[in-house]
Amino acid sequence: MRRSGVPSELGRLAAPLARGLDAAWRRMHWWVAVMALLYAVSGITVIGPDEVGVVQRWGRLVGDSPATREHGPGLLFAFPRPVDQVTRVKTKYIRELAIKLAPPEDTTDGGTRLDPLTVGYALSGDQNIVHVKLVARFRVREPAEWVFYGPRSEDIVRTEVSAAIIRSLGEMGVDHVLAEGRKDLIQTVTQRSQAGLDAAHSGLELVALELTGLTPPRALVNDFDAVQSAYIGAETQKKDAEAFAQGIVPKAHASANAEAQAARADAATAQARAEGDVDAFLALEREYRANPAVVRERLYRDAAEKAIASAAMVRWVPPPAPGRGYQGLRVFVEPEATLSPASETTPPPPPQRLPEEGP
Amino acid sequence: MADEMTAQRWLRVVVGTIALLAIAFYATALVVHEGSAVLVTRFGRPLRADTSAGLHWKLPWPIDRASWLDMRRHVYEGGHTEMLTRDKKNVIVRTFVVWRIVDALTFTQAVGSERDAEGKLDGLLTNAAIATLGGHDLSAIVSTNANDLQVDQIEAELLADTAPVARQSYGVEIEQIRLERIALPEENVTAVFEQMRAERRQYAAKFRAEGEREASRIRSEAELEAAQIRAKGAEEAARIRGESAAQVAKTYADAQRADPEFYKFVRSLESLDKLVNDKTTLILRTDAEPFSMLQSQGEVGR
Repeated sequence: MRRSGVPSELGRLAAPLARGLDAAWRRMHWWVAVMALLYAVSGITVIGPDEVGVVQRWGRLVGDSPATREHGPGLLFAFPRPVDQVTRVKTKYIRELAIKLAPPEDTTDGGTRLDPLTVGYALSGDQNIVHVKLVARFRVREPAEWVFYGPRSEDIVRTEVSAAIIRSLGEMGVDHVLAEGRKDLIQTVTQRSQAGLDAAHSGLELVALELTGLTPPRALVNDFDAVQSAYIGAETQKKDAEAFAQGIVPKAHASANAEAQAARADAATAQARAEGDVDAFLALEREYRANPAVVRERLYRDAAEKAIASAAMVRWVPPPAPGRGYQGLRVFVEPEATLSPASETTPPPPPQRLPEEGP
Repeated sequence: MADEMTAQRWLRVVVGTIALLAIAFYATALVVHEGSAVLVTRFGRPLRADTSAGLHWKLPWPIDRASWLDMRRHVYEGGHTEMLTRDKKNVIVRTFVVWRIVDALTFTQAVGSERDAEGKLDGLLTNAAIATLGGHDLSAIVSTNANDLQVDQIEAELLADTAPVARQSYGVEIEQIRLERIALPEENVTAVFEQMRAERRQYAAKFRAEGEREASRIRSEAELEAAQIRAKGAEEAARIRGESAAQVAKTYADAQRADPEFYKFVRSLESLDKLVNDKTTLILRTDAEPFSMLQSQGEVGR
């Protein structure tokens, strides 16, 4: 044993330690070498495909801008601890958080009293109570900020989104928000939440907000439904009226057209008949002009015969006595059934026989 | 043998040196990570706070001691506080703050831990909320009229009420303070429900009335239109018939003009033909045609 430069007393005290070291080295020097090598390369880190790595050297973040700070997938060469420390962050992974401003699922009562501590709700702009449920989907956008400066993700997402809901609902009317305003609501809540997350240096990005429930209080569901059905009823009435209007107007057009058409047809017929009559008359007239007496006689006789033939009864009376006229003359028209065909043409009985016998 | 002895000596020196250096390093080095700070105390007396990340140094224990602080931001949600707004409405309000330690020494001395900080912040928040909201109407928070809403202003007032105190007294910076919840006391909910119900009924009645009114308007307008169309049709038909009658009359008049006397004769015969039918009883004089033929050659006439 050499004791160069070391006080002999100390050397004597350290001798067992030195002997132990010597023995350990002789037995395990390969292991020690391997361990030393492993330590030397322990800083080399594999960054996964969905990850970003950030490096701290002596605790301080390496890099000034996000581009130089963040290391993408692949091998990241770093010194072993305690010099360098690599933090891997899953930046593609999308996390979900359910945010409820609604009664707990297990309550079944009508909910006429809402304890603000246990039952969540928001107030709409017209001071109606509305229950809201949504799911926030978010991911890490700025890993360094998220790891080193930001608040806990769940805390900040829940509070910022809740605050945004309270505020956005507070400026909308309940009817708007329960009907076509859902999209507006989601949009403004998303904007406001993201602004809040940025202001809190959370390093988070809100990927999507999904509205899973937006309802009036349970005690008022029937009243809201009644409004809905009244609305639908009104729309139906309007539709019916429109259908009626669409039926009645064309029908009126059709009937007006038909009437005009009928008038036109009648006019055409009347005109045709008139022209036919006139043509016939003119033909007759030409004949008449050639032979007035014969035509006139023939026409008269034809007419007289036809009239006498078609009449139900013909009675003959003598010409009036000169100066007396037909004073006192009576003609009996007897019912057809009692008349024989012969009696029809029988001249009437002489008037002087009749005056006393009235029907 | 001599080589082995030399190697052994070197090994001992190297191992001993490394061990000594490591011990010295761990005793004096302070690795301050991003998002944290170190408060160094010398014999219990605060010496300095190392807030910038990186390698810092201290004297070894027991002279200097280091304590680490979390400098990241935290969210603290206050309790539900019942209060009166300026328009005397009872509301329950909850706020949250985003805060972080900015003065490690003050924080350690005045507050201690994060949990203690929350207790301190809670009192601060409650007082600020009562003071601020007492100066605003409820419509500053919930209203459909955009001119009434003053949420930004309320939050700014809350921040102004709390931030300076927190900064000076606790070494804490309040970065954000927002309304997280606005609710009504349980006793008032029934009244609000009644009001909502009345409003619903009113809406339902309004929709029904509007529907009926609109439907009857559409119907009556359609009926009016249809009547107008039919009237136009009738007018058209009447005009056509009138023109036709005039035309027909003119046609007959033209014929009549050709020989008025003969026309009258023919028309009379036609009338006779139309007037006499199987219900007619003719009474004729025996001296009239054609019966008179039996007596004498009579004169043709009517």
